[in-house]
Amino acid sequence: MVLHGHLPFVRHPEHEDFLEEDWLYEAITETYVPLILMFENLTNDNIDFRLTMTLSPTLTSMLSDSLLQERYLKHLNKLIELSYKEIERTTWQGQFHNLALMYRDQFCKTRDCFERYHRNLVNAFKKFQDMGKLEVITCGATHGYFPLMEACKDSVRAQVRVAVSHYESVFGRPPRGIWLPECGYYPGHDEILREAGIRYFFTDSHGLLHGTPRPKYGVFAPVYCKGSGVACFSRDLESSKQVWSSVEGYPGDYNYREFYRDIGFDLEYDYIKPYIHPDGIRINTGIKYYRITGTTNHKEPYMPEWARQRAAEHAGNFMFNRQKQVEYLYNFMQKKPIIVSPYDAELFGHWWYEGPQWLEFLIRKIACDQSDIRMITPSEYLVENPRNQVINPSMSSWGWKGYSEMWLQGSNDWIYRHLHAASERMTELVKSYPDVNGLAKRALNQALRELLLAQSSDWAFILGTGTHTSYAERRTKDHLLRFNRLYEDVKAGAIDEGWLSGVEYKDNIFPGIDYKAHQ
Amino acid sequence: MAIIRKLKEKVKKIAQKKKSVAKKKTVVKKKPSPTIELKKEIFGAQEIKVEQTKYSHPEPTRVSRFMPQELPAGYGKDKIVLQVRDPWWLHAFWEVSGSTVDKLRQELKEEFSKSKWILRAYDVSKINFNGNNAHRYFDVYIAEGATSWYIDTAAPGRSWCVDLGLLLPGGKFITVLRSNIVITPLDGPSEETDEEWMIPEELFARLYGMGFGLGRSSPIGKAWQERVKQSLWSSGITSGASFVKKQQKQRKFWFKVDCELIVYGATEPDAKVTVQDKEIKLRPDGTFTLRFALPDGEQVIPVKAVSADCIEERVITPVVNRKTKTSALVKG
Repeated sequence: MVLHGHLPFVRHPEHEDFLEEDWLYEAITETYVPLILMFENLTNDNIDFRLTMTLSPTLTSMLSDSLLQERYLKHLNKLIELSYKEIERTTWQGQFHNLALMYRDQFCKTRDCFERYHRNLVNAFKKFQDMGKLEVITCGATHGYFPLMEACKDSVRAQVRVAVSHYESVFGRPPRGIWLPECGYYPGHDEILREAGIRYFFTDSHGLLHGTPRPKYGVFAPVYCKGSGVACFSRDLESSKQVWSSVEGYPGDYNYREFYRDIGFDLEYDYIKPYIHPDGIRINTGIKYYRITGTTNHKEPYMPEWARQRAAEHAGNFMFNRQKQVEYLYNFMQKKPIIVSPYDAELFGHWWYEGPQWLEFLIRKIACDQSDIRMITPSEYLVENPRNQVINPSMSSWGWKGYSEMWLQGSNDWIYRHLHAASERMTELVKSYPDVNGLAKRALNQALRELLLAQSSDWAFILGTGTHTSYAERRTKDHLLRFNRLYEDVKAGAIDEGWLSGVEYKDNIFPGIDYKAHQ
Repeated sequence: MAIIRKLKEKVKKIAQKKKSVAKKKTVVKKKPSPTIELKKEIFGAQEIKVEQTKYSHPEPTRVSRFMPQELPAGYGKDKIVLQVRDPWWLHAFWEVSGSTVDKLRQELKEEFSKSKWILRAYDVSKINFNGNNAHRYFDVYIAEGATSWYIDTAAPGRSWCVDLGLLLPGGKFITVLRSNIVITPLDGPSEETDEEWMIPEELFARLYGMGFGLGRSSPIGKAWQERVKQSLWSSGITSGASFVKKQQKQRKFWFKVDCELIVYGATEPDAKVTVQDKEIKLRPDGTFTLRFALPDGEQVIPVKAVSADCIEERVITPVVNRKTKTSALVKG
């Protein structure tokens, strides 16, 4: 089981209320804290578990950032205030009243948890990693999409190196594995992973199934990449489908909570105004009162107990299917198969409200109710099964249509001209200034920060979806413009320290960055 | 009344003081401290809050040089970059500097205006490409002024190199820019098997189908097409994803009406007030406001106030009835 936790770097000290920062706040309340609470419950009950989880360097940076922590607490306090008002408002509506109470309890628990880890949730993930239950892996420094950086490989190297050194500074040991952003693999990039000391990565199913030569065990055993020897694990789609699929998947069950009915949109404007965007834009508050109910717009109130019951049944069903799958595979593989089930972490809790409950049921059932399957991390698997086939995996991603089209289409292909030019310029800077100090070094480090931030695949993704594109376009341009100015200023020997300080303050990610990572 | 007048005067005075402070500020540009402190004390929480927000975070230094808002159209370099979109399609983008175009124009003279910019794609699989040894090549005619193009290779699992150049009227091709080399992925399983890890065709077919979550007996050829149809793709970032994962069903015409009830009142600030037997909190001035979602039916809302010394008690009970009727009409 692999959970991929990532959000792009959305930190805007220049504005008090920045809509996009809500991405982080929602994910903390709905996904990261519920997962941490689950880890705590399991540990308290002595239930053994193994999970692999990406915490992308941008996400880790935001979780550790004091400004964002402070703002999150403010956000959460307002949410708690709203839940109290809701308790009162729904006095004569029993079902909603109970839900309002549930939300108040949940938000208060969230705040306790947040304070318990001194407002830095990375501490929690580190704790469970140190206990051997959780294997935290890294990701590209800013989630740059590697296959479209093949022509400027120095940037792939920088994405990996900066991620690895950032991981070390946070977790006190090097990362063993990496989640390639968007599962995007291009042949040869495994060599860059090897140089950085990374021992395994993941691809989508076709990355392995279309590899050369044929993988003997399909996706049910990892392989080593030819040349680099880095291990490659591949996604099993049967288990994926049960959670991801909007048609057959569990999250569509009619008893589960409806994502789109939020009081931020449903309630009277003046009442809800203090809890939506200050400009009056209605947004999700996180308080939702309805269940999916059916395919029409008619929605019935959410019944937490019914949903919980379904989550338990779905966990049982998932486990049963894995048992059958493993039994069948073992018969003709004559070897213990590994089933790799990766999901976006934010799918659990944020999108699928009952996801964390489901996962907890699943873990408890696997630990207590059977002995056919067990949970394992990739590192443990490799220790137990060191002999694996050597092949060349195929270029692939887990994005739309399986390759690069999501990030390379009419609406976003214009960015690569600029990203590649900036990457080339960065390499030129590193060559021209191999050893500088003081202001020039600060400028070069900031140049690399700006380049990495511009490379986040999230911007190309949003541009590709065609909705809410202005923010993504602005971010791409802003970081590139700042990079270009730094490039020119460094070359002209005319760095404006005041301006540089301003940019350093705004884009403060990776304080320990070394510009020489880009070569 | 006298007190109020006094207060009004005080406010006036302070307002004047504030004005003079503000004036001073613009002239001397010095942080005025003692007068401001005084102002804070009297003017209350809101002002302090406003002021705090000004200083709670260090302000970024002002940009002292003009920052362009748009990216440059070009970088003044001769360069073509080739990228892989999928097993079949490549994407190329390029820039030809003005000086290079001028040079070509001078060299080719009148032939220049008669020649066409084209892309020539070379299949360079498993060779050391030197410009002449490609397995084959094909030409792509591009729109005038284009600086990028998608190229259909019609052959997955190959290595490609692309030249941007001029096709002269006589059919001669002049390379202007040469791209990097890329490898497209296969569109199905490899034909190669590994001797040491050999696997019978039939078993591989089963594993292949299973890897794509298609049960036990999917023919290899169809499995990948099926997988593409499944659309179990990741959908990127969380919140953005919400809009993508499950588009809300298009609602054409819709209408909703709901009712809420506001109950408000006032009493002595130190009185104890209950609404439907639940104690509520009064504002410092003794007023209160409660807001309820109002369902259909009758609501009896006894509001009781008890004086602080518990001697006096008053009850006021609004009774509210809501009855909702609906009707719908579709014309035509």
